[in-house]
Amino acid sequence: MSFNRKLLATAALIVILAILPLVVGRDDIINLMFMMFLSVTLAQSWNILGGYAGQVNLGHAAFFGVGTLVARYLWFSGTPIYVAMLVAGLVAVIFALIIGMPTFRLRGAYFAIGTLGVAETVRITVGNVLPIVTALPSNFIVNYDLNLRYYAALVLAVLTVLVTYWLVNSRTGLGIVAVREDEDAGEASGVSALKHKLIALAVSSFFAGVAGGLFAFYHVSYYYQFPFAPNWTFDALMITYIGGVGTLIGPVVGAFFYVTVREWLAVSIVDAHLFVFGAIFICVVLLLPGGLVEAWTKMQRVRLLSRLLRPTPPVKSVVKGRGEQT
Amino acid sequence: MLECEGIDVFYDDLQALWGVSLSVEAGEIVALIGSNGAGKTTILRTIAGLSKPAKGDIKFDGVSLSKKPAYDIVDLGIALVPEGRKLFGSMTVLENLELGAFTGRARGEKNATMKWVYEVFPLLEERRNQTAVTLSGGQQQMLAIGRALMSQPKLLLLDEPSLGLAPLVVQMIFDVIEQINQRGVSVLLVEQNAHAALERAARAYVVENGRVVGHDTGQNMLRHEHVKSAYLGGV
Amino acid sequence: MPIDALTQGLVFGILVGALYGLAAVGLSLVFGVMRVLNVAHGELLMIGGYASFWFFSLYGIDPFVSLAATIPTLFVIGIVLHRGLFVHVTKLREEDRIKNSLLMGFGLALILDNLAIRLWTADERSITTVYSGAAASLMGVSLPYVRVGSLLFALVAILALHLFLTRTYIGRSIRATAEDWEAAAIVGINVDRTYLLAFAIGTALAGAAGALVSVGYSINPGIGLEWTLKALIVIVLAGMGSVGGTLAGGLLLGAVESVSVYFIGGAYREVVGLVMFLLVLLLRPKGLFGN
Repeated sequence: MSFNRKLLATAALIVILAILPLVVGRDDIINLMFMMFLSVTLAQSWNILGGYAGQVNLGHAAFFGVGTLVARYLWFSGTPIYVAMLVAGLVAVIFALIIGMPTFRLRGAYFAIGTLGVAETVRITVGNVLPIVTALPSNFIVNYDLNLRYYAALVLAVLTVLVTYWLVNSRTGLGIVAVREDEDAGEASGVSALKHKLIALAVSSFFAGVAGGLFAFYHVSYYYQFPFAPNWTFDALMITYIGGVGTLIGPVVGAFFYVTVREWLAVSIVDAHLFVFGAIFICVVLLLPGGLVEAWTKMQRVRLLSRLLRPTPPVKSVVKGRGEQT
Repeated sequence: MLECEGIDVFYDDLQALWGVSLSVEAGEIVALIGSNGAGKTTILRTIAGLSKPAKGDIKFDGVSLSKKPAYDIVDLGIALVPEGRKLFGSMTVLENLELGAFTGRARGEKNATMKWVYEVFPLLEERRNQTAVTLSGGQQQMLAIGRALMSQPKLLLLDEPSLGLAPLVVQMIFDVIEQINQRGVSVLLVEQNAHAALERAARAYVVENGRVVGHDTGQNMLRHEHVKSAYLGGV
Repeated sequence: MPIDALTQGLVFGILVGALYGLAAVGLSLVFGVMRVLNVAHGELLMIGGYASFWFFSLYGIDPFVSLAATIPTLFVIGIVLHRGLFVHVTKLREEDRIKNSLLMGFGLALILDNLAIRLWTADERSITTVYSGAAASLMGVSLPYVRVGSLLFALVAILALHLFLTRTYIGRSIRATAEDWEAAAIVGINVDRTYLLAFAIGTALAGAAGALVSVGYSINPGIGLEWTLKALIVIVLAGMGSVGGTLAGGLLLGAVESVSVYFIGGAYREVVGLVMFLLVLLLRPKGLFGN
């Protein structure tokens, strides 16, 4: 598809999503779409560091969780929610940079388990300091507008994808991808690996933090430590890989696929979706590293190829030609 | 005995060998000479099975090697003494030698073969309980050759055996190579020290930029103008 | 007397530390030989625990006796998992190997966690034998028979592994492959079979540790991540290259955890280990006992 057609399709999709709550009156669908948008944001933000920069970060939930804490606190103290969400994102960035500076000295798998270690440390600490549930005050509950949350989530998801697009196509984005491909070669040609990793980390953690704010905005009550649990990281990671790691629409496609299948499977057996996704994830890692996006492009190529090889309907002929049958 | 037929070898996307063809007959010493990076090591590694040819084939006594893993190729009778020796540094001389006889074919005769290796390299017997990493360069080279001999090879591939060694030791190593050859082991020898290699080789190939550019008997090569200026110090 | 509580805690810490070491040794072997980081290692431990639990619950077989069945079972599971999954990862280059094995292990862990919940429910399980509550008493310190038995078994298993790797021909071929797989291949060592063997042994050791956890402590389908982390912490603390070092790392972790509980309470027990892990990872990546 050409760029303009892609743009048109995307715009049409956003318009459809924007009018969805007005057309469909069902709360359960709105909630489902909310989850999808949140997943897109979390996955796309992970994708920036994990996919484009190639640094597999297993501590993403920590940024998300920090965002929930900050936003919840500010919002309950009277700050408008959008300001609270923004501040949540910024605090997440500061937190990320503080742990990023030392952690980025680790490479590859060591970075991965190091970030996991940090995230678990944060989770346990939060669980100890705040072992309780945070609940929406009654006046907030009375005024709870689901559609508002829906639009907030949609806007955030769109913003995350847009910023990712802009970042990846910028000069900085080139440097970030260079770090993924070959960190040492990049350094040798003047691309500061650390600087680019930190930039990717900053953008990644910002959106994770704002997503945390969104989470705090949406949920009526939850345990403070809930958003710090590693499954938030693992979900984002799986969605990104299944959709297509290091691509722009991979996380989007993956989130749609993930949330839909999870809903569909939840009817029969709870949590069975993890089993299915674990299996799909392994298949992706082994056989189709580009995920659904790669599967799609491969299918397109096959279709294109078959169209090229058969420009006209087969002609009955005595002489055997290529691709023809007698 | 060994036939390389037009092999192309790549390291990821980088082509290292273009259509390399060479042969080694039973009982011969064949030399590969050429400058650094010409592809000589790649040729030996590919024959040994550590790299696979993208095009072409390698046959040993009629059996195709290009799909076989390196450890099966050892079993067929080819042993590599690699550049840099690749010893098991944390293990003793004895343990290194023993591991050399790992293949089924050689394992039964392990003790007899080791006796022979000790005859060829008495020093190794003296130091048999010493860890390989504590040996000197020359001793490590001896151990590397000895370990390769433990698999009872029909063809010995030697990659720069004289590299970094003192002249006296180099002389000794080359004498040993001739000694091994006289026992019936064919040798494919890669050497920077072209003169020493060509003196002892029945035939030789010149490798430049991943291609075989010359082929002649060892004696003729020594007198060849281009070879003399490029690889023999121009005398 | 307060000092008794500290000593008692320390003893308990060392007793569990032996299991940390046993859990880590399998992962360390696999990583050292194949450069594969199987983060589903904790799940394999969990399966060992359930195997032992069911041998006991269904057939009344003592858990220390059923080890003779659990260990071969996990060995076979290791062969299946390697042949089915991890062998494909070993075909990659080293940098890709570690990352892809991490991802693959992660997917496998999800599947195994879920399978366990489905098959055996999320309930906490523990084996209670006739001697489960009994303990010896040495100078005022309680030594539960079950935990001491586990420590002894762990020591024996680790010693057996050490002897296998240093004194047998096959064991030495495994070490050779770990040191330099190309060198191993050119002396005729079947590297692919060595990988398979190492992975199967690593899995069997995890299963053994799990069996001991099920009798001395308790198991549930969620312990996978917890024990994988423990194993990772021990490996990072100890460094690579020495089986004895890994055991020492496990004991150290157990000891430090229990001493910290004495001073700052149980809520931060896991955090202490994680913080040590991060410090060593950042400041002394080779580990404290490794080469």
